[in-house]
Amino acid sequence: MAVVRRIACTVRQVIDHGEHVYTIELQPSLPVPRFRPGQFLHLALDPVGHDGFWPDSRVFSIASSPRERDRLSITYAVKGTFTGRMERELVPGRSVWIKLPYGEFVIDPTRDAVLFAGGTGITAFTAFLQSLEPDHTSRVELFYGARNAELFVFAPLVRACAANVGTLGYTLVDEQLDGRLGVEVAWPTVATLDEPDVYLSGPPSMLEVLRTQLRGHDVAHARIKTDAWE
Amino acid sequence: MTDADAADLRDQILDLVGRFYRERHAARPFDPGRDAVRYAGRVFDEVDMRSLVDASLDFYLTASRYTEAFESGFADYLGVSDALFVNSGSSANLVALTALTSPKLGDRRLQPGDEVITVAAGFPSTVAPIIQNGLLPVFVDVGFGHYNVDPEQLRAAVSPRTKAIMLAHTLGVPFDLDTVMRLVEEHGLWLVEDNCDALGSTYRGRLTGTFGHIATSSFYPAHHITTGEGGMVVTSDERLARIAQSIRDWGRDCYCAGGENNTCGKRFSQQFGSLPYGYDHKYVYSHLGYNLKATDMQAAIGVAQLAKLDGFVAARKRNHARLLAAMRPYEDRLILPTTPPNTDPSWFAFVVTVRDDAGFSRGDLTAFLEANRIETRGLFSGNLLRHPAFETIERRVVGDLANSDAVMARTFFVGVYPGIDDERLDHMIDAFSRFMDGDRVTGAGGAPPAAGRENT
Repeated sequence: MAVVRRIACTVRQVIDHGEHVYTIELQPSLPVPRFRPGQFLHLALDPVGHDGFWPDSRVFSIASSPRERDRLSITYAVKGTFTGRMERELVPGRSVWIKLPYGEFVIDPTRDAVLFAGGTGITAFTAFLQSLEPDHTSRVELFYGARNAELFVFAPLVRACAANVGTLGYTLVDEQLDGRLGVEVAWPTVATLDEPDVYLSGPPSMLEVLRTQLRGHDVAHARIKTDAWE
Repeated sequence: MTDADAADLRDQILDLVGRFYRERHAARPFDPGRDAVRYAGRVFDEVDMRSLVDASLDFYLTASRYTEAFESGFADYLGVSDALFVNSGSSANLVALTALTSPKLGDRRLQPGDEVITVAAGFPSTVAPIIQNGLLPVFVDVGFGHYNVDPEQLRAAVSPRTKAIMLAHTLGVPFDLDTVMRLVEEHGLWLVEDNCDALGSTYRGRLTGTFGHIATSSFYPAHHITTGEGGMVVTSDERLARIAQSIRDWGRDCYCAGGENNTCGKRFSQQFGSLPYGYDHKYVYSHLGYNLKATDMQAAIGVAQLAKLDGFVAARKRNHARLLAAMRPYEDRLILPTTPPNTDPSWFAFVVTVRDDAGFSRGDLTAFLEANRIETRGLFSGNLLRHPAFETIERRVVGDLANSDAVMARTFFVGVYPGIDDERLDHMIDAFSRFMDGDRVTGAGGAPPAAGRENT
């Protein structure tokens, strides 16, 4: 893990995707440290106290590309007190404090990979997708589920990346039309990959269902990587 | 007291600190009849003192905002991904080498009996971690002028049991990294780069401390920057960084900083060995570690010093160049420092070896210099294997270490640190000149220079 840095940031933009889902663009006061796609940051709404202790914070996958050193973005859904406060308080010009990078949910670019993303869980993969070069050789298949068509916040980015990278495929699963994101819809494609690693990011209930289904297809435990939180 | 009142009071205190510095510590003219020319020393100004006091007013004590700033600034300076502040350069060496013994490295881990190549003429804490980890040191000799490993002996030293090379850039002179990196690649070796004396040196334009899998720096006052006590472990291998942090921080598996909890989000939901599932990650130990952390007050000085590093390096180079030019006429009697191809040293000191046939001994010369209040130091341990602690260690030796023995008998150095100004340089050059013209100290009888570096 690279050296963790605390950085004061200014909120540059707030994008309201509807249904209490937001993307926040941050302007950091220092260059963004190197991070790996899939890593996350801690975000605090209050400054570090005079006692030096880091204030209450929550973690968010870094949605922006590691290549960008002068901006960061996160996407979140309002689910509790802290994110409720974010919804109320974060407006352009507001100061926030972050520390990063953290996490080991990092995709091995040398192996075929299957990515299951539910809702804002896609942000664990967006930095990776943006880091892919046109000549990327390993196959990557993304299965991206959202509660309805309006909540495919990152569909334009996914399409743009896929247009640029021949080995990247994707499937959008609109849960209103297609039902819950599951392994069955993916399996015909997954079966054509070369012993892929399978990465899961999304709500805990979705992760549990996907894990069970993958075990049903004899996918080895070691090949299933989960962006899970307590 | 409101936050604004506290900030105002803090500013007043820091302004007083600045005033104290100017009235108590500001430089005064050099008096050759009274003042010593130190071989090294802390060089600081009111910014360093204000930074130190600012950290003390936080009273966080352990690693906090200044440690983060120092680690990240140091990593940026070298262009590496990770820097870990520790309490000395020797601790840095211990952490760096011990990290390579981690079971987390699988087949690549160093195991008891594996050989680690190093030099006999160096500083003990470059070698001690090898022995402390149950590894076998393989000693090779150094060359004159640069005092680094002899490339031919290095090649000859590699055996099927060799797993690592651990070397220092002696007195700021980069060792032959072409040869070393070739051996590292050909034989799949680890390279631990002891950069304690060489911060700011380059090899083929690239900073030393960035070639090894893991490298170390020292911030003892004799070094290029100081934090009093202090050192740094650097690497661009995130796996090694995590391991090194564990070794530094009691051997624990968790990487949360002091005062932080659950930054990984899995504090109570992981399985480690035969521990109960979900055992608190903060108290899971994956290594036999130490506590080698430094304080935020030390880091606060480091932040201020780091901002001055480029100037310090330039001053060291300027002073070294001036001494070298002044010593050229005496090359028939002195072996002067050399700058090997592809290197641009950030000099730690000006090192001299008295030739066999000089007509005087090292002791004659150093006694004269010391009598003129010019500090001298031996090249650290000389031949380390002649020291009581190392005489009986298990080891392999390549060659006869004749040069290491000669270093012990005939080599010494004087300072080039930024605290040496033109007046002090004039005084040093004048003293050397008078000695070379035949001036002597009555009764000087071959006493060796003062004990070696107190630097890590």
